[in-house]
Amino acid sequence: MSAGGSGGGAAQAIPQNKLIAFGAAGGLIAIYLSYFMVQFAGPAFSFIGALGAICAIVWGAAAVRRVASYGLGTGVPSIGMLALGMGVVATMFGLAVGGIAGPIVAFVTAMVIGLVIGALANRIIGMGIPIMEQSMTEIAGAGTLAIVGLSTAMTGTFMFDVVLTEVISTGYIALIFIAGGIAILHPFNANLGPDEKQDRTLSTAFEKGAIAMIMAGIVSAVSAGASAAPTIVIGLAIWYVSFSQYNKYVVRDAYDVVGTGLLPKEEEESE
Amino acid sequence: MIDIAGVLAANFLYVILITLGGVLVSGSVHFVPVGGAPAAMAQATGIGTGTVQLAAGAGLTGLVTAGAMLNLTDSMALILAAGMVGAMIMIGVTMIIGNLVYVYGVGVPPASAKVDYDPITKDRQDIYVSQGTEGHGIPTVSFVSGIIGGGLGGIGGALVYYSLMSIANGMASADFVGLAAIFAVGIFFVNAVIPSYNIGGTIEGFHDPKFKKWPKAVVTSLIVTFMCAIVSVITIGGL
Repeated sequence: MSAGGSGGGAAQAIPQNKLIAFGAAGGLIAIYLSYFMVQFAGPAFSFIGALGAICAIVWGAAAVRRVASYGLGTGVPSIGMLALGMGVVATMFGLAVGGIAGPIVAFVTAMVIGLVIGALANRIIGMGIPIMEQSMTEIAGAGTLAIVGLSTAMTGTFMFDVVLTEVISTGYIALIFIAGGIAILHPFNANLGPDEKQDRTLSTAFEKGAIAMIMAGIVSAVSAGASAAPTIVIGLAIWYVSFSQYNKYVVRDAYDVVGTGLLPKEEEESE
Repeated sequence: MIDIAGVLAANFLYVILITLGGVLVSGSVHFVPVGGAPAAMAQATGIGTGTVQLAAGAGLTGLVTAGAMLNLTDSMALILAAGMVGAMIMIGVTMIIGNLVYVYGVGVPPASAKVDYDPITKDRQDIYVSQGTEGHGIPTVSFVSGIIGGGLGGIGGALVYYSLMSIANGMASADFVGLAAIFAVGIFFVNAVIPSYNIGGTIEGFHDPKFKKWPKAVVTSLIVTFMCAIVSVITIGGL
């Protein structure tokens, strides 16, 4: 039973290399921009970190889509949890030892772990997915940038002493783990099937990323270094736009969309 | 900068123990009767959800019980036992409730499609398997196997957490607990997903032919967890 895959590469309108650039460069630039803007212009700019997380989430969802199209043999959620599992280990290490280079150290560490898991999955476990190494590397990197981006949106910085007290010991890291993981795994899981389309899947990724951004905004209300209102408002705006777009794609791809009307009142329709 | 070599040398025992814990988790998943989506429709033997969800449920319960015990004692044996029992209770409850639903809700007898006779009770299995399905419910052998898997996974998770909590460092205790816990969760998830790719979605327990594939997942986990262990020991030990 190959859950969620037809055994072949996925058709794609946007080439994966563009998405890698969008996620990796966009994510890292947004995280650093957020950090420096918060330092020099005030906590209102912490939301840029969440934008970086959304870039990374879209990239991760695209990579999940590509690898899971081959059929993982098990549910798509597993790969999202793997991404965030690798990501959280690499993030803690990168931020703790890296200082100002923390996000980059975390990113590189995650990709090394991802590459090793991908290579072992093909060589030892024998999954036989040709893009496994590349995809695992991408997914680990995307998971890491999602975690760093959301942490930055919550606290306004990625310096480990602040992240440790305001994100990790408060337990919000668990929220990031699940919200980020679901944002990466859910788009393909929700859209998979013979009529799956790249644009529809990625619009779901934007929408899920926006939900994670809104959550990060709510958490940042208690943080001195980040302000909640811009993150929540921009998150809601992105969510609205991406959900409308997703809805359009669903209507486009559906054979027909008909209204069923309201449920009949039980008494008068029972005869 | 952190004295990486010094931290690793001082805590090398914990690197080994964390790796061992990850390997135990990886091996334990092969015992758990995972049915996946087919089992959710009572078309395959096992619990009707994926490996990762089951491992997370049982493993995180094990982490909670081990953490509670860590408050009271420093004895490694007691902490591992607490983690083991917590995970066994969680997986046991999941399987009992699952079986109640299968038997009284769906209306199918628990039956294995992989063996003709239950290796433990010697009960006939094949005549109870509905046509077109790969068994349904959680027969005795799968239940026993699941309990063993929960126990091993709980020991593994508790071992990872205990080792992380034993590393000398300069953090405030609340921060330390949070950091060690999220590292344990991350390592746990990685080691829960690797075997799920190895068994390819569904397995009935130790009597399933797929169970023989466990060395592949264990070797993979050994290498990956070793890397994660080094990274986490450096992080915690360096703070």
